[in-house]
Amino acid sequence: MASNPYFSLAVLFVGALGFGLAPLALAWVWAKVFSPSKPNALKNAVYECGLESKGDAWVQYRSGYYLYAIIFLIFDVEAVFLLPFAVAFTGLGLAASLSMLVFVLLLVEGLAWAWAKGVLTWA
Amino acid sequence: MKTVEEIKAAIEAAVPGAGVEVVPNPGPAAQHSLLLKPDTAVAVATFLRDDTELALDFLSNVTGVDWLDKEIAEKVKVTRTVAKTVDGQEQQVEETAEETQKRVEPGYLEVVYHLYSVAKKHGPVVFRMRTGNRTDMVELPSMTPVWRSAEFQEREVFDLYGVAFKGHPDLRRILMWEGFKDHPMRRDYVEPDDFDYEPTAHDEVLKRAQEHQAALAAQKGGGE
Amino acid sequence: MAVDEGLKIELGKQGVFVTTLQELYNWGRRSSVWPMNFGLACCAIEMIATTMARYDLARFGAEVFRPSPRQADLMIISGTVTKKMAPQVVRLYNQMGEPRYVIAMGACAISGGPFKQGYNVLKGIDRYIPVDVHIPGCPPRPEALLEAFMTLQKKIDAQHLTGEERPRHLDAEAPGMFPVPEQGEHDLEPPANKNVWTVPVVIR
Repeated sequence: MASNPYFSLAVLFVGALGFGLAPLALAWVWAKVFSPSKPNALKNAVYECGLESKGDAWVQYRSGYYLYAIIFLIFDVEAVFLLPFAVAFTGLGLAASLSMLVFVLLLVEGLAWAWAKGVLTWA
Repeated sequence: MKTVEEIKAAIEAAVPGAGVEVVPNPGPAAQHSLLLKPDTAVAVATFLRDDTELALDFLSNVTGVDWLDKEIAEKVKVTRTVAKTVDGQEQQVEETAEETQKRVEPGYLEVVYHLYSVAKKHGPVVFRMRTGNRTDMVELPSMTPVWRSAEFQEREVFDLYGVAFKGHPDLRRILMWEGFKDHPMRRDYVEPDDFDYEPTAHDEVLKRAQEHQAALAAQKGGGE
Repeated sequence: MAVDEGLKIELGKQGVFVTTLQELYNWGRRSSVWPMNFGLACCAIEMIATTMARYDLARFGAEVFRPSPRQADLMIISGTVTKKMAPQVVRLYNQMGEPRYVIAMGACAISGGPFKQGYNVLKGIDRYIPVDVHIPGCPPRPEALLEAFMTLQKKIDAQHLTGEERPRHLDAEAPGMFPVPEQGEHDLEPPANKNVWTVPVVIR
């Protein structure tokens, strides 16, 4: 068994597992032996800066937030591409410039579509 | 800037039936103020703000004042008919005597507003309004529609003095909690009897603390 | 069981470190007292100054101000506790996990201070929750807060794991809940928690 080439790996694996689990086990045993658990309604209440919590945490949001976030993300990423493009602009060939223009055009088209759909109007 | 009398004249020209009075300040500051009638106050306030010469566009502060019921002792000449023996004959004689009569002037709550003009760089113009009494006629018009900065200060006056501002957009207590019943800045407010531990008491607090101790002792004695 | 001091030093010279479980436990706790991220009034400014580089609260392992009571060990009552705020403070204290400690910082927190006779000021937070260290001052200097920290650390160091003397969080019988006062029509109800606060005797 010891001759198995994976034996050392198994030993290390057990060691790593022990390294993670031992503190957890120790904390658990410590809590069992020494510190009694004293839960109460106040302690278990939802934390809301000391105020009494009101209502439910599960509330509905407008889907508009989601669309806004998506559009923001797209143009955020676009900026990441535009910056190196602008830096290397003078040294670029026709093909590279064209493909970049197509890329921007696609995004502009998407923006125009979203605009036409009324996503950008917030009401 | 115009004097208070001139402002009064201007108001009376602009707002018919405004009924503005001047309350003189006898102190060295001589900062006389205008007393507005509650029913025309909003119109007058709007005039003070919009008038091109006054242009009082900034409400600096709102103050509450509590005036308790005042007992006024006056000397009055009273004529009454008294039966008297004059020259051996009984006669009805009119007699005049000086008597002290007491009358109670009902107290009221007063709200004082200080106005400045940022545009004209002048001020302050002080005006006040008074409620009918201290108990049930405590309504006054709100100045919040005229000066937005009145909102929180009027809430504070409402909270601490109990003046109900009509037309205020959000009249809630601001310092004390909802459900609190008293108005702590009124002069007859009595704070809760919480004088168990007063290590450095003096004056009024010492008196209250001693009263509290005496009440505790009496309670203990009665319990045994 | 304590180890003999002389023996401990002798063993230390030989490169052997001897300790007890209790010492190790207390050392760990006193070196990582995480305060709650929470200030009430002007004392809070001094508290913030204490955490900054000049006074450097991090030396005591207390630089991590937790914005949630679940992760905090120490509540620094830094400032005036108004009667409107008191229920919130007590509720937050209840939501902290044991072991939890309280430093009442400044005149207002310990007695109401200059506002003691005010209509809206609580006459000391110790009426509702147990306070471990009181610091006078208006506001106390950051050095005073550091002193309070060291006092608290000494207090933690002296705590026993077992026996009658053991602190609240190790005692199953000790109360874990401190009732939140209600805001009544004229005052907080009750005006003080009788289990926590007894009227101190003034010695003149």
